[in-house]
Amino acid sequence: MMTAAALPSDKKCVASGQPATAVLQVKGLKAYYRTRHFGVEREVRAVDGVTFEVRSNEIYGLAGESSSGKSTLIKAIAAAMRPPLEIVGGTVAFAFVPGGKDLHQATSAEVAAIRWRKLSYIMQGSMSVLNPVRRVRRSFEDFAAPHLGGTGASFEARVREHFALVRLDPNVLDAYPHELSGGMRQRVTIALATICRPDFVIADEPTTALDVVVQKDVLGMIRNIQREMGSSLLLVTHDLGVHAYVTDRLAIMYAGRLVEEARTPQVFASPQHPYTRHLIASLPRIGDAAPRAGLAGAPPNLASPPSGCRFHPRCPLAGDRCRRETPSMTVFAPDHRVACFAVSGGTA
Amino acid sequence: MLTTLRDLLRYNIEFRIGAILVGMVAVIAALSFVSPYSPIDTFVVPPDLPPTLAHPFGTTSRGQDVFWHLTFAIRNTLAFGIVVAAISRILSLAIGLLSGYKGGWVDRVLMSINDTFIVIPLFPILVLFYFVLRDHMSWFALAMIMALLGWAYDARLIRSLALSLKAREFTHTGVFSGMSTREVLVREHLPYVMPIVFATTMNNMNWSIGLEVTLSVLGFTDINSPTIGGMIYWANQHTALVAGVWWWIAFPVVVIILLFIGLFLLAVSMNEHIDPRSRLRRLGAGGGP
Repeated sequence: MMTAAALPSDKKCVASGQPATAVLQVKGLKAYYRTRHFGVEREVRAVDGVTFEVRSNEIYGLAGESSSGKSTLIKAIAAAMRPPLEIVGGTVAFAFVPGGKDLHQATSAEVAAIRWRKLSYIMQGSMSVLNPVRRVRRSFEDFAAPHLGGTGASFEARVREHFALVRLDPNVLDAYPHELSGGMRQRVTIALATICRPDFVIADEPTTALDVVVQKDVLGMIRNIQREMGSSLLLVTHDLGVHAYVTDRLAIMYAGRLVEEARTPQVFASPQHPYTRHLIASLPRIGDAAPRAGLAGAPPNLASPPSGCRFHPRCPLAGDRCRRETPSMTVFAPDHRVACFAVSGGTA
Repeated sequence: MLTTLRDLLRYNIEFRIGAILVGMVAVIAALSFVSPYSPIDTFVVPPDLPPTLAHPFGTTSRGQDVFWHLTFAIRNTLAFGIVVAAISRILSLAIGLLSGYKGGWVDRVLMSINDTFIVIPLFPILVLFYFVLRDHMSWFALAMIMALLGWAYDARLIRSLALSLKAREFTHTGVFSGMSTREVLVREHLPYVMPIVFATTMNNMNWSIGLEVTLSVLGFTDINSPTIGGMIYWANQHTALVAGVWWWIAFPVVVIILLFIGLFLLAVSMNEHIDPRSRLRRLGAGGGP
């Protein structure tokens, strides 16, 4: 597994004089789905040893194809697991949890105290985050009012003020969700998640259901709000265009593990991991009409993942070592980590 | 709510007819408050008179005015239906929402109780209750028994809705934001299932009133408080049809049929209103299959 030496710890960041400190530190996180039906046990290793950190005031992107474990990872980070999802190992430490405790060790009262106020979550498929039979105002009262406090009038004023920030008409408060357009609904959802000015926002595919024009608008708004509040954002989507547009740093996930992490422009300019290289090469580019070569094979079944590097059955550079050992995330360049034997210099 | 009612009255012929019928029956029931006779007194008017202007529905062999006696009977019957519906709604909502939302062993325990209530035959049990309770059997006791037996079907229906609501994002968001189970159920899920509950309420009233009439006709209830079934019971006791006193049976039967049809039409039209596909068809847009 990963060794401590391979981790670019937050100490390093402080030592190198970077003002940004880690708000979230995830170390060796393992989250498995464990089911037992009629005595047959099954274990899906959706997140298997993931280590990264999110610094303050940054947008951290997480990319990966479907079933690569993105959603499981953020459920684990938000401590929003439901059976059969279990945390098997690793820690999730937020800077704002008292005593720097692992979130999964915190009491339910401690977790309840940070949720929404410090840590909020824009859910996947957020078209239905709003209850279809409740007015928007009621959703705000249900979800946010207990955390914001304040009486009816002051709460109302706060919501209106926040609506101005996301360029929403205050009349939207009296609308039912079906009366709003997709973009407006998305903005309401984002306003709902950010009204308490949380330190950390998790956004799971926040713009998937929108067309590109509205998507750009909403993404620009997300970035503006994040910069204005100075909070950190973990943005999860398979859409690399979205990452290129808003994220500061980007991590690529494959089959439950991170394979590469770097500043976003760097990922696009000089991808190192073979998987990332294929991923970037598959993106269409203006003026380049050459057909894109597909990658042979399919993502592995996480119930019985391949040994060693999980990418080796599809990897053109795979060697014997890749089948036997699991490569750990190694610092390739400043702010650039790769989990590949072929890249980190060793013999593949 | 008010605009929905107005739209239903304006565009839905079934709802309009149903509302008029139930309204008529309600007016008859309300007239009991201005009745010149007490419902328990007998021989206050000459017996066996056919319908005349003085006694529009005639008089019974027991010397009661059929019309005024009917106002008491339908009031009790209606109140019975409403009480049963209200109590069984509370039970089915609480059990259905909790069972669907909680899942796991809570769901298994509640649904096995639920299925037990669905399969046990109600009629023999109600008769049994009458023989056990005898003189203690009042219409309120019967209403409580029926309510405790009549929630199971709708609890299953509500549970199936709750199962789907549980997987929606607004539930996850609510839980994530720290809402308790009670808050999620009452504030997020209850408003969603209410329209369906309204529709099933009408059906439940029809069911409970029908069963109550059946029991009363057979004499398995408190026959001294006037109900529709009780009236028919007494008419049968006095062999009204053989004696030619047809009005004693005909008018209660007509009124209860009007109530049944009215409630049924309300239930049907509300069902249709809730179902978006049939609503589209009504608007002429052509729904799905």
